[in-house]
Amino acid sequence: MPKTDYIRETHHEFLDASADALANQGLQQILGRLGDSLGKKNREAWEQLPNSDLVRERARTIKDETLAELDKHLETLERSVLARGGKVYFADDGEEACRQVIDIIQAKGAKKVVKSKSMTTEEIHLNHALEVLGIETVETDLGEYIIQLAGHRPSHIVGPALHLSAKEVAEILSMPAGETLPVEREVLAGFARKQLRMNFAQADVGISGVNFAVAETGTIVLISNEGNARLTTALPKTHIAIMGMEKVIPKLADLPYFLKVLARAATGQKLSVYTSLITGARHEGELDGAEEFHLIILDNGRSKILGSPLRESLFCIRCGACLNACPIYRSVGGHAYGGVYAGPIGAVLTPLYDGLAANKHLPHASSLCGACQAACPVKIQIPEMLIQLREQMHHEPALKSPLESLAYRMWAITLRRPWMYRLGSWLASRTLGWWKQNDRWLKRLPGKLHGWTQKRDFPAPAPTRFRDWWDKEGKQS
Amino acid sequence: MSRESFLSRVRQAAQAGRAFRVHLQPVPPDVGYVGANGDLCDKMAEEVDAVGGRAFRVPDLLAARELLVTLLEEASAKSALCWEHDLLTRLGLVEFLQSRGIVRHSYESLSKLEFPSQRQSMLACDIGISSVDCAIAETGTLMVCSRPGQERVASLLPPMHVAIVERQQIVPDLIDAFAILHQRGLENLPSNTTLITGPSKTGDIELQLTTGVHGPKHWRVILVG
Repeated sequence: MPKTDYIRETHHEFLDASADALANQGLQQILGRLGDSLGKKNREAWEQLPNSDLVRERARTIKDETLAELDKHLETLERSVLARGGKVYFADDGEEACRQVIDIIQAKGAKKVVKSKSMTTEEIHLNHALEVLGIETVETDLGEYIIQLAGHRPSHIVGPALHLSAKEVAEILSMPAGETLPVEREVLAGFARKQLRMNFAQADVGISGVNFAVAETGTIVLISNEGNARLTTALPKTHIAIMGMEKVIPKLADLPYFLKVLARAATGQKLSVYTSLITGARHEGELDGAEEFHLIILDNGRSKILGSPLRESLFCIRCGACLNACPIYRSVGGHAYGGVYAGPIGAVLTPLYDGLAANKHLPHASSLCGACQAACPVKIQIPEMLIQLREQMHHEPALKSPLESLAYRMWAITLRRPWMYRLGSWLASRTLGWWKQNDRWLKRLPGKLHGWTQKRDFPAPAPTRFRDWWDKEGKQS
Repeated sequence: MSRESFLSRVRQAAQAGRAFRVHLQPVPPDVGYVGANGDLCDKMAEEVDAVGGRAFRVPDLLAARELLVTLLEEASAKSALCWEHDLLTRLGLVEFLQSRGIVRHSYESLSKLEFPSQRQSMLACDIGISSVDCAIAETGTLMVCSRPGQERVASLLPPMHVAIVERQQIVPDLIDAFAILHQRGLENLPSNTTLITGPSKTGDIELQLTTGVHGPKHWRVILVG
């Protein structure tokens, strides 16, 4: 196994982690498959949606308009959920949201909780908060179940166990099985099904995320391919849903446009297998569905982003398309990013949520090729935002290096004085230029400058400057 | 307390954020509607097969009943979780299952059971038989709404789900399905509306497709007419 620490919740060094990922052959093989399978399927699915670019534009428009009056839509959502007999909680941060969940669970005297996949609960480290109190918490998405057993963090927004080979999955599932399971996907999935059905049958509380919340009806929308989100909300008596506040959309009629672009972007399907619209608790006489519905609306730094130039990052509907499209993600995988959200959108979100100083490499973990923006179902201008973050880094006191500032000051002084520039280029050509006149490349710059030459060579100055050549030969010809 | 400060913080941020609204191009109202060219039943059948289910075309309810015999055998069904629905009544589903010696967990019998045993009976069923609120041809989707007698688990818990759909229940596009919900009135939205497009799937092991991980592995749609 690679030495990348999958468990830690604090951030690690992007450079080391990505070097580990590049050396991990198993991971490289799996990442290579991302482009083979998903890219082609996504393209085919988009082709079957005429004017898909305008549909994406519509989804984007709805997000932009909603955010402009987010407070009003949240109030409408609250009113609608209350009208349908549900309860609504507002949480300023992750800690408050966890406490609200715990209060509900403890008031029910519940011992066992089943969860369907939710990046928001990953973001607030809910599982950990529940487990320290002895509340048994079982992830039910197959990928989440596997990484929960292994103690890993999700490595992809949609496929959290993407970093594991079938062999590793078999080893992980063999632990609860108490026997060695064969490396066959059907058998492994079958074992998980049986195991998780048992948990569904016993659970008192189901916790889910929210893909979309419709303000006018108080409906929350859950999307899954496996069906675990349906089981989580159909079988336990209490359902707690946790949403980032940007997940609200004003009208039910807005929803189909998002559904049409989400699955295409995420997995190349026209629609995901299950899309559930849950409006309040079960009605009188119904035999399934939760008897109580609780909705927690989370800020956790989002309002700070909402009022900032990077507000557009709140358009994200967590489809994972930018990860699949990104040459960097496809080389280093999700864990290298260190945060809960990986890939291009993670490189934007993690510094915003967690601070730029602790994640200084992320805005640079991109070639700015634009593949992420092209793949995004709501056309978020991710490269533009990464550039803005890079610019912000120059104003971050914790990231100021006196050496770098000095170097830039010297550079500026030199460029303002032609005689100094001429002297500098003459010196460079007579030293480095002459020394490297045959192979022309510097393989290793000294000290910190080696950051540049670590992955590529640096061109050496020419042994003869252009101006000298021009004076001697160029003018005459 | 927390609510007021939360909302006022969001109000301020939303206002400040309006300075950074993105540039948008106008979108004509009909964009996004795809629909289905040609026969709705044909398109529905084609899409059901394409997403990993199996569609069957039958001329009438009698033929649908005959087909059910094969499906019950395929599922080795001893017990069934069934919707109560006008279409299934016309099919004579209750008598049909009785005549084949299959235990039908009716709404009435299930509602008499206490909580844990009710759940156990639901979990143990071999086949789920339902109709739909509507079907969407463009994507091969079934829309099912929950009501007493039309439980959500019927299309979820058993390893095989069979849906019986009549031609007039099929609409061309997802947007038409949402129009049905609007026609019924938003205040009448059921507690659960689920769009089902295929058998339960996962790509969580090495990105390879595996079916039946939580919901039904076998997804059969009988199209009548």
